[in-house]
Amino acid sequence: MLEVKNLNTYYNNVQILWDVSLQIGEGEIVALLGANGAGKTTLLNSLTGLVRPAAGSVAFLGQEITNLPTNEIVELGIAYLPEGGRLFPDMTVQENLELGSYLKNSWKIRNKRLEEVYSIFPRLKERRKQLAKTLSGGERQMLAMGRCLMSGPKMCFFDELSYGLAPKLVKESFAMLKTLRDHGITIFMIEQNVNQSLEIADRAYVLENGRIALEGTSEELLKSDHVRKAYLGL
Amino acid sequence: MVLLINIILNGLLLGGIYAVTAVGLSLQYGVARILNIAHGEYIMVGAFLTWLVHTKFGVNPLLCLAVAGPAMFILGYLVQTFLFRKLKEKTPTPAEFEGSSMLMAFGILFVIQSIAIFLWGTNIEGYSYLAYSIYLGDIRLSVNRLVILIAALAICLLFYLLLTRTRTGKAIRAASQDPDAAALMGININRMLALCFALGAMMAGFAGMLISLVYQLQTNMGMQYTIIAIIVVVLGGLGSIPGSLIGGFLLGILGAIVNSIEPGLHMAAYYLLFMILLLVKPSGIFGR
Repeated sequence: MLEVKNLNTYYNNVQILWDVSLQIGEGEIVALLGANGAGKTTLLNSLTGLVRPAAGSVAFLGQEITNLPTNEIVELGIAYLPEGGRLFPDMTVQENLELGSYLKNSWKIRNKRLEEVYSIFPRLKERRKQLAKTLSGGERQMLAMGRCLMSGPKMCFFDELSYGLAPKLVKESFAMLKTLRDHGITIFMIEQNVNQSLEIADRAYVLENGRIALEGTSEELLKSDHVRKAYLGL
Repeated sequence: MVLLINIILNGLLLGGIYAVTAVGLSLQYGVARILNIAHGEYIMVGAFLTWLVHTKFGVNPLLCLAVAGPAMFILGYLVQTFLFRKLKEKTPTPAEFEGSSMLMAFGILFVIQSIAIFLWGTNIEGYSYLAYSIYLGDIRLSVNRLVILIAALAICLLFYLLLTRTRTGKAIRAASQDPDAAALMGININRMLALCFALGAMMAGFAGMLISLVYQLQTNMGMQYTIIAIIVVVLGGLGSIPGSLIGGFLLGILGAIVNSIEPGLHMAAYYLLFMILLLVKPSGIFGR
């Protein structure tokens, strides 16, 4: 579904990503693991055109998307939940969700999607007239996730879904990912929480200093000495 | 009592013009981060177009909205697409762009003004329209001023509804709050910037038409309105559209109070207010 080949990205003349290659198949949950500063967010930004890669190629559903503007990449069916959610703070919960359905085809059926999202997150319905900046951390993350779903995506990129959440909410949001997959959405997620992400992911890539250091199924990685030492502290 | 009511009415009238003048600038700054020093020139051109179409072809000046607005919309769209967008590609950081775009706007100011002087000279022009008064008891109301107030309120209301109720309006607000996140919603940022700049210029065209109904026109009148617009925008909070609307009316009422005491001093009062604001509350009434 998503095929990345030899991606190289610079930021302020410093090379962040070095020859990153990966593939994600339809219906998979794939995690991207790595320490702070390894280049995880830069990778997602490069895939969605927020940052321009210097070399390499990205293909989505067989179509080359490497140099497309962000809005055209999104139009192909990718939704990206950036780090911290990046909600529109001075707009209401409902307006944030509606913007998730901004694309023409989604806009027509936004009310139907709105009901679906509200049935998944009843809390958002209660708060639909509140400004996004007045929400709690957990509610913001729900809203960011709901906003992704409003576009009816084929694939979601999640950057730190567990960011700033209480342990109970982390569990809930990870459980959500499985539900999304059951609805046919392919998931590529960045996580610091290695243990929990390997529990639900089918496969994972480990990014170190901008290079893919390891890849494999979750069971393989859980058994790997390197992962156990470097990321699980065992 | 009569005096007070007159002051309030005059204040609302001035305020209506100021609000229409300022929202355009506010939109351009809020979304495109361009402090459009040339804003008043679009107002001047809007006013002269109204005058021209009215005196040459006898068209009702209110209907000239349909000329001045779209003409300025197109001019704004072209300026954003061919000047500011190219400039932005050459100055990558937002801070650099804020500086260079202001210089660019300065250049545009002189180009528009020179062309206007070439076309229309430097004489004072004007026309009179509905220049008579009606009385409500002791209160004298000049009809053209009432018309301006109603038109200004209608324009502001429609503009507000556009921003809050329509798909495009929501996209504009999203782009002003977080351009990257807006792009992730599928919003074409370059198109949205051009649209915002064009809408801002269109509001300037509307303001020009309103101004031409009661004031005399001169090709050098633009700067004064640019400054008023900047004061209103700072008063309301940079980039806040409701702030600009309310700020416009507040400044109008201040202007009317000062005018009733000493008409020559209203610009001085505006500058004074502006300086006090910068010192006391630079983020404005609705500033974030």
